[in-house]
Amino acid sequence: MAAGTSVFDAARMNGTPIPTLCHLQNETPVGVCRLCVVDTGARVLTASCVRPVEPGMKVVTNSEKVLNARRTLLELLMTDHPTPCARQEQSGDCELETLARAAGITQPRFAKRTVSRGIDDSSLAIAVNHDACILCDRCIRGCNEIKNNFVLGRMGKGYSAGIAFDLNAPMGDSTCISCGECMVSCPTGALTNKTVVGTTITAGPDAQGFEAEELLQLPVFQGVSGTFLELNRGAIVKRRFHEGEIICREGEFGSTAFYILEGKARVSLSAPIAHVKTQGGAKGFVKRLTSTLAARDTDARDEEVRDRTIPIDASVDLAYGNPVAELGPGDLFGEMTCMNFYPRSATVIAESDVVAFEMLRNVLDIMMKNKTFRAEIDQNYRRRALENHLRGVPMFADLSPDFIEHLKESVELQRFAPGQAIARQGDAADSFYLVRIGFVKISETYPGGELVLAYLSRGDYFGEIGLLGGGVRTATCTALDHVEVVRISGDDFRDMVERFPSVREGLEAVAAERSAQNQQRLQTTQSLPIDQFLSQGLMEAQSLLILDLQNCTRCDACVNACADAHDGITRLVREGLRFEQYLVATSCRQCRDPLCMVGCPVGAIRRRNSLEVIIEDWCIGCGLCARNCPYGNINLHPFDVMVEDLERPGRQKAAVKQKATSCDLCTHLKEPSCVYACPHDAAHRVDPRTFFSKMLAGGGKK
Amino acid sequence: MARTRTTKKLAQRVDLNYFKRPTGLKRAKFWLSVGLPALALVWIAWHGFSRDSRVYSSGRMSEAHAVLEAECTACHVQTAGAFSAKASDTACLACHDGPIHHARQISSIGCATCHTEHRGRVNIVATRNESCATCHGDLKTSGGADHFESGIHDFEDGHPQFAALRPNGGAPASDPGTIKVNHAIHMKPIRRGPNGPNVQLVCGDCHQPGAASGAWIYADAQYTAASTSSSPQDEVLPLGKERTQRPRPLTGRELMAPVRFAYACAGCHSLAFDKRFDEGVPHDKPEVVQAFLVKKFSEYIAAHPGEMRVMRDPGRDLTGKPIAPTARVLTQTQWVRERTAEAEDLLWRKTCKQCHTLSYPTRDAGRRIPQSIQPIDESSNIRSTAGGLPEIASAKITLQWMPHARFDHDAHRGFSCVSCHEKAMRSTETSEVLLPGIATCKTCHAPGPGHAESRCFECHTYHDWSKRKEIKPTFILPELRTGGR
Amino acid sequence: MRIDKTQRGWAIASVAILVVFTAVYVAYAVHAPEGPRGDSALGLAFGVIGFGFMMFAALLGARKRVPVWRIGRAQAWMRGHLWLGLLSLPAILFHGGFRFGGTLTSVLMWLLIVTVASGVFGAALQHYVPRVMTADVKLETIYDEIGSVRKLLREEADRAVESVCGPLGIGKSVTEEVLRAGGLTAARAMGVTSSGTVVAAAAETVVLSEEECAPLRKFYLGEMRPFLEEPKRRRARVGNAEKALGVFSGLRTLMPSSAQPTLQDLEDICDEARQLVRQEQLHHLLHGWLLVHIPVSLALILLGAVHAVMAFRY
Repeated sequence: MAAGTSVFDAARMNGTPIPTLCHLQNETPVGVCRLCVVDTGARVLTASCVRPVEPGMKVVTNSEKVLNARRTLLELLMTDHPTPCARQEQSGDCELETLARAAGITQPRFAKRTVSRGIDDSSLAIAVNHDACILCDRCIRGCNEIKNNFVLGRMGKGYSAGIAFDLNAPMGDSTCISCGECMVSCPTGALTNKTVVGTTITAGPDAQGFEAEELLQLPVFQGVSGTFLELNRGAIVKRRFHEGEIICREGEFGSTAFYILEGKARVSLSAPIAHVKTQGGAKGFVKRLTSTLAARDTDARDEEVRDRTIPIDASVDLAYGNPVAELGPGDLFGEMTCMNFYPRSATVIAESDVVAFEMLRNVLDIMMKNKTFRAEIDQNYRRRALENHLRGVPMFADLSPDFIEHLKESVELQRFAPGQAIARQGDAADSFYLVRIGFVKISETYPGGELVLAYLSRGDYFGEIGLLGGGVRTATCTALDHVEVVRISGDDFRDMVERFPSVREGLEAVAAERSAQNQQRLQTTQSLPIDQFLSQGLMEAQSLLILDLQNCTRCDACVNACADAHDGITRLVREGLRFEQYLVATSCRQCRDPLCMVGCPVGAIRRRNSLEVIIEDWCIGCGLCARNCPYGNINLHPFDVMVEDLERPGRQKAAVKQKATSCDLCTHLKEPSCVYACPHDAAHRVDPRTFFSKMLAGGGKK
Repeated sequence: MARTRTTKKLAQRVDLNYFKRPTGLKRAKFWLSVGLPALALVWIAWHGFSRDSRVYSSGRMSEAHAVLEAECTACHVQTAGAFSAKASDTACLACHDGPIHHARQISSIGCATCHTEHRGRVNIVATRNESCATCHGDLKTSGGADHFESGIHDFEDGHPQFAALRPNGGAPASDPGTIKVNHAIHMKPIRRGPNGPNVQLVCGDCHQPGAASGAWIYADAQYTAASTSSSPQDEVLPLGKERTQRPRPLTGRELMAPVRFAYACAGCHSLAFDKRFDEGVPHDKPEVVQAFLVKKFSEYIAAHPGEMRVMRDPGRDLTGKPIAPTARVLTQTQWVRERTAEAEDLLWRKTCKQCHTLSYPTRDAGRRIPQSIQPIDESSNIRSTAGGLPEIASAKITLQWMPHARFDHDAHRGFSCVSCHEKAMRSTETSEVLLPGIATCKTCHAPGPGHAESRCFECHTYHDWSKRKEIKPTFILPELRTGGR
Repeated sequence: MRIDKTQRGWAIASVAILVVFTAVYVAYAVHAPEGPRGDSALGLAFGVIGFGFMMFAALLGARKRVPVWRIGRAQAWMRGHLWLGLLSLPAILFHGGFRFGGTLTSVLMWLLIVTVASGVFGAALQHYVPRVMTADVKLETIYDEIGSVRKLLREEADRAVESVCGPLGIGKSVTEEVLRAGGLTAARAMGVTSSGTVVAAAAETVVLSEEECAPLRKFYLGEMRPFLEEPKRRRARVGNAEKALGVFSGLRTLMPSSAQPTLQDLEDICDEARQLVRQEQLHHLLHGWLLVHIPVSLALILLGAVHAVMAFRY
């Protein structure tokens, strides 16, 4: 035997296998599980994986003593093991359970632990079940020694010891790149491969599967773990599209992103670029109120930004007047759909023959963490979309082209995980941000709660107040989902402002306006006693439709009126939870924290300074806002339109397009129709804090 | 596994179009709302198609017109081409005449104003006081102020005392009758009656309803059988024609018959003129009486010629005049003349005068020529009275004390006469009007339950029946019953 | 609708109008020859006014069909309907001089009396019943949807029982409630759980043995599910609150502790089903009187118009 050989290896070489749990061939042995103990004649049994051989050593591997020791160890380990664990279920090869079965241990004699150590579901690829972890250290060594990622470590002491990612972050939020090494090393079901919904993309006739090696040859896949790709073979597919074929349709739900390898595709919106306008004879006696689609040129609403671009889920944005753009090799689209399951934001049609990868979230996640891929995405963005975004900020409209070029090079693209704070209220302000993708929540905290000021999505910007007004952030900006922002540093910003005074004026004007609005909102909230009848979220509302149940005769006049005012589709439902003697009807509440606005793939839902929810002309009718609204206040209104027949270009066909609608307070009629039409003085549109203020001031529940 | 309720979950249970769907209630409401008016329409149309307009009647017909209940067209005559089929006065006048009330009334009113049909089975003539009070409540006549009371609303309010009892131009009301009657004496027990002493008269012995054929206790056959030469104008004041022409016939018992000498007075008041005769003179004009006297005496003296020798009647010498011879022998004529003069003296100065009002045209009229100065001329006619015969004033007995009202004694036959005419028991003067005043009537005739009818129509009528015109009958019976079909 | 002090204005105005009417009528009736008649000037005036009030009242139905037209608030129309409709009765009584007249006019008078009486009755109902409904039916839903809510309750109960007893053998309905991300979009299976109902996820299924859950199974299939299908059955014990309490207490003793949460859920479902029955009853009460009021009033208007025309004829 060569010097330094461990007893375990020596035994192995001699054909005597010794069972282990924590020892792996390619990892440094640590001897923590003590399953490989053998009797070398010393005072205690020794762990064979760490003990080097000595000459003249007599090793007994299966004496009664040794076997008892092993059995006891196994029994103890099995006590807390969630039999059958995930690995055992998936592939039947949980090492602990196998060993236990072989040792004849079926039912441990000891009591199970009472407190679960928890599971960690945050990673896209790997499921973590701390209850199955036997702290064998294999994963840590694999991550550190083999893959050199240094993500895993140990934490805690005694009974609460466990593995941790980074500084005990959830795995999905850590710097883990989902290479899969830990999962592969884990002997039990503590780290297992996750089966993501729809892991396997249904391969159509034009889909080609391929081997992992093939993928790894592509420059963008450099650095991606082969094991991982192997394990997730069905999650990425190469597709071919003929010219004219529709790759994806706007509004559809999906879970995949596309990466174009070859060819060109055209991205556009086929929904009519118009908003729902209800008009007609409320004053007249003959015409009924009809809802039609009206575009901006026929019906301009205030606070519209002209020439605004429509943000979509691709590396370019669409212009309002002509919502068509081109995508080519190296373009990634469908990122939001893939990562957050948002509906598709636009229709993509192949202009030439296209070869593209379609991948699921787990793959995309890995890709986005991959440096090469990231670099390419970054570059595309800077080249194609960043300028539009910058110019989309109204005060940047006058910037000179060379400054724009300078900015393009000097801006930084930063990613934030869901829930992460981009900037906090009170921090020193040193950056200006543009949102490239994802949703950012801007909120202010004050004693008693948090007030959401806005939700920003692709193309929106924030951070200028801090820069202009004394250098302290006035609001907290939090990422709601996977957010990527363009960060302009403070120096660049100040430089820009000096060179272009008009920019400064514009900035100051916007900043002043925003300050005033925020002040106003804050004042309202601070001047009232905040009480906790929040269980229904009523304080979140700025305007409630309440039905006084002691007057209401359940005659449905309000519903009929709402339907009449909106072309037969009611925007109010006479159902909901009760508060005192009032029924809080299902009708837009103009929430302070408008959850409906989160996630719109085309950023079509926003709020004016009045309470009215505006749905922009380019709503594609995907229904996400309806899902997000926690009260079910948003419904979809179908319209018959003639659209271009995508399968037969040049011709039109009839289709039903949907637009999201919600209670618009009947601003076109000056008073909500439901209130107007109630014969029994039962329907009221109230500000809950004012309306219930007497009750609130009276102190608590009645 | 607690159940949770959130607004969204609740809202998502509900189909957004629920209010457009029909439910049992909505369907029932709809069909009933269609069905019931349809039923009503069918009902009306049914009547329309069967030309039965009775459904539109606003009440049952009055008692008098009950026969016309089914025949709307009897009164609701539709002028050709027009829509309206109001019942106009023309329809009423096809069967009835309704003479105007008074020549000086300001406006004439339609039949239906007072005679409102379709009020149920009532007496259509029974008009409300307000109908009369429309004019009489504040009476205005054409031609200026009048003697009519102008503020009569009903029997209780504004109805004046009866005209007969009201002062007439300053003088108190008086009976125009010229027959002297002292009711008070007659009502006391009378010491000498025709058949013996002590009779007690009752009202009905003299006063009876006109057509009555009751027994006249104090009648005298001599007089009841005799015919008189007097005419009704001499005796009674005439009845108004409106009384006689009215639609309802008179029973003849409404008014009291005038008291006749033959039936009421003759039993006690004898018209004896001479002790040679039992019978009295006829109750007739003075000429007739004189002729009777002459005849009677002439017959007597022819039968008793010895009487022509008239012995001196010492009882008659007390005048102190020269004493006549003890006996005179008269001629027949002279004897008759003397006797007639004596009888006439008795009659004109005493007997007739007791009741009648006589007037003497000359100073000496009716006065007996004294025997001493009587001419012996036989050729002079029997004209014993020097100044001519007296004139007897016509009796002017009032038959109808209330010419403008209907009073029916027969309707009041249950009452004793004195219960209303109690003044008669005490009346001593002929001129006293013994008509009971309005107060007496009001004891029974007043509004409200427990009283007799007091509305205007009970006593008065609007229509002046004296001007009644006859209607030419134009309907045949089946026509009226079936409206001409 | 409550008859409360917000109606004061209308009430005072109506009383004033009534007083004026009465004064005018009395003055007229006392002096009219042959008494008050419908076709005298004042009689006609009353008739026209009364009919005008009735027509306005009838127009409320039409007003409710065009709720959005700005022709006066629905509340004002409703109050007008109430008070002017009420005044139409004295107006017509004055018009007819308190006489019922002939066939048509008697019918009309009765129709009017029935209409006004049913209206007053309905107003009283609308004053009291909403309060009763609010207090009695805490889990109120929309009346028209009671059928489908009941179906959802059945399905929920099925799932609850099946989570404890295993499959019941009841066929799942094909028309599972569509997930409505807005009512008009079709269901999209997105991987998001279908949460269209007030349902607890059938999570940990601790299935009991056949023998253990026999009482529950028997109760459920024999009593509770038929009740949820046809709640009007008189015989169902769970249709009565006290009896249900007894039934469930009994069940609780019979079933093991792992089934207790399910039993609680079932009890709550029964309670909700009972409340829905009560809601139906109260709703029928609250709206049933309209089945008399509306048709009678329409017939009244129709015949009233006929009367108006024909009275001018005759």
